[in-house]
Amino acid sequence: MTEAHHIALRMTNISKSFPGVKALQDVELEVRAGEVHAIVGENGAGKSTLMKILAGFYQPDEGEIEVDGVRVGHWNPREARDRGIGMIYQELNLVPDLTVAENISLGGMPRRGPFVDHRAVTQRAKDVLGELQADIDPASRLGNLSISQQQLVEIAKVMADKPSIVVFDEPTSSLGEKETRVLFDVIDRMRRAGIAVIYISHRLQEVMEIGDRVTVLRDGRHIETRDVAGVTPDHMVRLMVGRDLNEMFPKLDLEPGERVLAVRGISREGQFADVTLDVRAHEIVGLAGLVGSGRTEVARAIFGLDPIDAGEIELRGEVIRVRNARKGRSAGIALVPEDRKGQGIIPGLSVRENFTLPVIQRIAQGVVIFARRERAIVRSLVDRLKVNPPQIERPLNAFSGGNQQKVVLGKWLLAKPDLLILDEPTRGVDVGAKADIHEIIGEFARDGGGVLMISSELPELLAVCDRIFVLHEGLLVDEIARADATEEGVMRAATGQVAA
Amino acid sequence: MRQLDLRTAGRAAVRYRLLVLLVLVAIFGSITIGDFFSVDTLQSVLNRATVVGFLALGLTPVLIAGQIDLSIGSILSMAGITTIALQPVIGNIPAALAGLGVGVLIGAINAAIVVIFKISSLVATLATLLIFASLALLLTDSQPVSSPDPIFGIPLTGDLLAVFTPRSAMFVAAAILMFIWLRFTPSGRNLYAVGSNAAAAKSAGIRSNAYIVTTFLISGLFAGAAGVLQSLSTATGSPVAGAVMLIPAITAVVIGGTRLEGGRGSSLATLGGVVALGALTMMFEFNGVPAYTQAIYTGVLLIVLITLDRLVSDDGRPTSRTLRRARVEPPTPRGIQEEA
Amino acid sequence: MTATSTASTTRVSAPGTLFSTLSVPIAIVALLVVGAIVSPSFLTVSNLVNVLNANAAVGLVALGMTFVAVCGGLADLSVPANVAMGALVTLGAQSFAGPFAAAGLGLLVATIGGVVNGLLIGYLRINPIIATLGTGAVLLGLSQQLIGGGIVYGEPSPLADFVKGSMLEIPVMVWIFAIAALILTPVLSRTAFGRWNLAVGGNYQAAEASAVPVRFTKAGAFVLTGLLSGLCGVLLALSNGQARPIIGTGYEFVAITAVVIGGTSLFGGSGSVLRTVGGVIITALIGNLIILGGLPTQATGLVTGAIVVIAVGIDVYFRRKGGRE
Repeated sequence: MTEAHHIALRMTNISKSFPGVKALQDVELEVRAGEVHAIVGENGAGKSTLMKILAGFYQPDEGEIEVDGVRVGHWNPREARDRGIGMIYQELNLVPDLTVAENISLGGMPRRGPFVDHRAVTQRAKDVLGELQADIDPASRLGNLSISQQQLVEIAKVMADKPSIVVFDEPTSSLGEKETRVLFDVIDRMRRAGIAVIYISHRLQEVMEIGDRVTVLRDGRHIETRDVAGVTPDHMVRLMVGRDLNEMFPKLDLEPGERVLAVRGISREGQFADVTLDVRAHEIVGLAGLVGSGRTEVARAIFGLDPIDAGEIELRGEVIRVRNARKGRSAGIALVPEDRKGQGIIPGLSVRENFTLPVIQRIAQGVVIFARRERAIVRSLVDRLKVNPPQIERPLNAFSGGNQQKVVLGKWLLAKPDLLILDEPTRGVDVGAKADIHEIIGEFARDGGGVLMISSELPELLAVCDRIFVLHEGLLVDEIARADATEEGVMRAATGQVAA
Repeated sequence: MRQLDLRTAGRAAVRYRLLVLLVLVAIFGSITIGDFFSVDTLQSVLNRATVVGFLALGLTPVLIAGQIDLSIGSILSMAGITTIALQPVIGNIPAALAGLGVGVLIGAINAAIVVIFKISSLVATLATLLIFASLALLLTDSQPVSSPDPIFGIPLTGDLLAVFTPRSAMFVAAAILMFIWLRFTPSGRNLYAVGSNAAAAKSAGIRSNAYIVTTFLISGLFAGAAGVLQSLSTATGSPVAGAVMLIPAITAVVIGGTRLEGGRGSSLATLGGVVALGALTMMFEFNGVPAYTQAIYTGVLLIVLITLDRLVSDDGRPTSRTLRRARVEPPTPRGIQEEA
Repeated sequence: MTATSTASTTRVSAPGTLFSTLSVPIAIVALLVVGAIVSPSFLTVSNLVNVLNANAAVGLVALGMTFVAVCGGLADLSVPANVAMGALVTLGAQSFAGPFAAAGLGLLVATIGGVVNGLLIGYLRINPIIATLGTGAVLLGLSQQLIGGGIVYGEPSPLADFVKGSMLEIPVMVWIFAIAALILTPVLSRTAFGRWNLAVGGNYQAAEASAVPVRFTKAGAFVLTGLLSGLCGVLLALSNGQARPIIGTGYEFVAITAVVIGGTSLFGGSGSVLRTVGGVIITALIGNLIILGGLPTQATGLVTGAIVVIAVGIDVYFRRKGGRE
């Protein structure tokens, strides 16, 4: 890429303040046509703000934006789209109650007279879905599709506008490995078609794989832009956090104790069948599998959120029958759910109130909650978990994702479970908080608990877990010991290349 | 498998609930009333359903957009007394137009409160419900206003064509026009997007606020029309006419299958709901069922329908975000058949 | 009716918090000042006691409605039906059950109405507006059928005399309201049930995953409102000595108004019973001022409605201003 490049986008000296916060300070970004330009940085580094400025949702306080060499002034989302900027967010921007075709043409449906030209709408959808090699019926209701199919529709929607610049903001966080491969193929084709792709991700492995150049942001400032070919993930992490992380995934070596959880042949129609696994004290056990393999469903069933149709669950040697989360908690199980915003936090309640929710009856003892007692309990945990800032009366939605996750984790530690089930505990969490969370998990195991952990990030599973169970299409296909575990081995099992 | 069949049957029952309901009413009606299927009876059903029908029709786009308008009853009262009070002053037709204008004006006030002050429509229209119900009483000193020209409104409920009277023809025409708008035009489709996923609509460049304003203007206009038609037909403008109309209107919309949470609904379904409710009421009256007993049946009907809807649409399994297609057969080892 | 952009339930810093904590007491003081200017008879003990007395019954409903709003149940529109049930049964059953048992029966019937609401909304997860519209229609119809659509008269009884009487110069009705408020304030702010209500209203799924009994909580709020509506009906019937099915008409809106004026969001996740007490007092004083100021009583709705818009509008403004990151 040394010949004269066509610069698709140039953002210079961008600054943006919000009341009390300087979100961006003199940030530069230059993206070439036909490259995948990754942007990395911790949460709060300013990536999202920068992209929202590009998309016209925010106006910069200072700085200039040039698209294809033409300077743009004050603009709004619609103008940004008309100028060829496509945005694909982590959260899907689709309408479940309209058809796939209508979603793709949303906001600019072709007309015939005063009416929607349905044939043209369908044709447009067929064309662009075909280009993406996605086998999706344009006439089906969007809400009936799977998440990864919906993501393809989202991409199709953006591509239908023939953008020259496409921004992906954490696109893989709800995708498994297989769907991620499909996405990367799509991105690769975009690159070859001369589109400038901006790719934001916390997953440095992905950046290494798909990116051509990478820009690192830290605390709202531009730190460095360079070719991906010349950097290692470690180096990127150093630039992002501005300090050395000794090890990305530290691991305590502990001797497994007695069996905490034994699951024998549990099934749930349509989701998983005949799953048998166990977790010992002091042990961190991984549960791997592609999205849709039944990982989350197994976790929910063990905790009691969904009933099982067959099989039995044994905790500390006793068969338990869990029918809801309350029963699960009483039995000594805790579940940190994958969907933090949807199932983890109560946004309007304070850190204190979120913390004590699962155990509020115990704290209330007789009838009344004693505020001093409650505060004391919460304060000690906030210190231990390094929740920042340590203000326990602030509503939880005023905290970053990593801190929210610490609170979700912490509220379950307060319930003193024997078994801690973690579903994607570090998704969308910045590097520093991730290390803190791993430390908390490690301490829990050290103190005698058993951990069952789901993660889509294989390096994390390999580093943290003592054993890994692998699910494929609802069936347990493999159990791999720490010593034998490799990314390739887990992937082979997860993609069904190992017989059950 | 048996359970599955029951569920399928239940689904079908809910999907075609309007049809089921209409058929049931028709059967019981024809058994208990000799000439239920006469043109006269059907004409009367439609004619009497018109007032609630206009309210329900106006409510439909508001609900599709994910909002609610509780003030339609008060708008009806205000439009009615305006029309009748202005009849001697500016003449019959201008007075009727003034009634419609009052409806649109109150709709605009609702829209302004929701869009400018960002107050949720539930609270905003609750407030305007109180305000305009109160204003209607103040303006009339709590007494109904009588029309100086009682003859003018009579043709509205006369015989027009087959089962239609002029006012019920207006109602059905409005429902069809609204259907065409919602189903076949870009702005109609966009309205569903606004109610179903406001963020997605916004990022697609759809100006949600403009749509929300429009729906409140429509519900104001339609509630105004209901008030004008009712007051002209009865030659009276009652300040409390609308107070009892909100609940039947919502019931009719819900029977039709429009979702209160936004994103789903149809004006033809509302038309069906209005007709079904009207026919039911008619049947009760023919059989001398007292009004309060009718309320019991209507309430039970509403609860049963909505419960059925809940039970079959939600298959009882809380879905996680990753819960997808994995269709698991009883454990059989699997190879690499599918693409890896 | 989703809380799309409007009612964000965030509790935020400085100006917003200050405004929302002080707004209710300030409004009450302002009303008292205005009242004293408007009419010399306003700021007298007997007038204020009368105002409270007249609003104590509907105030009870507002206390229950607070829980409904906080747990994300929007509103209970079956209140008039439950009030009517409580009132009609209390008087109708007197002849064969005696006054005490009849009042108990009235409470029980209204509570059962609340249980039905609770089952539909909490356990079957039906939209509260539709569900309570439906149960309201059914229950009101039943209550009318019970008495054939007319009016019921009560017999003089020691219970009725007690309800109409006073203790320490303060009417018994006011005592009952005050005691209920004193009990329910800590129930919401300092018990597990109260915390559950806040959590369920704040994020239903997360509450469920945090081992909160979500269905029970939501149902509980509606049962409580049913019970308090029944109590309202019983008290009204006993103090009036007669009851019609329309006895509670409009009470649902008065109660919702008091909750909203107090500053509790109808979309759940925050709120307090004490604020609702403030809301009840504000609405009561406004009604009284309108009469004393010589305005027609029909103007009450106009003024209350306008105040709802202004109060909520200011609140939303401050929340949005403070809520920006």
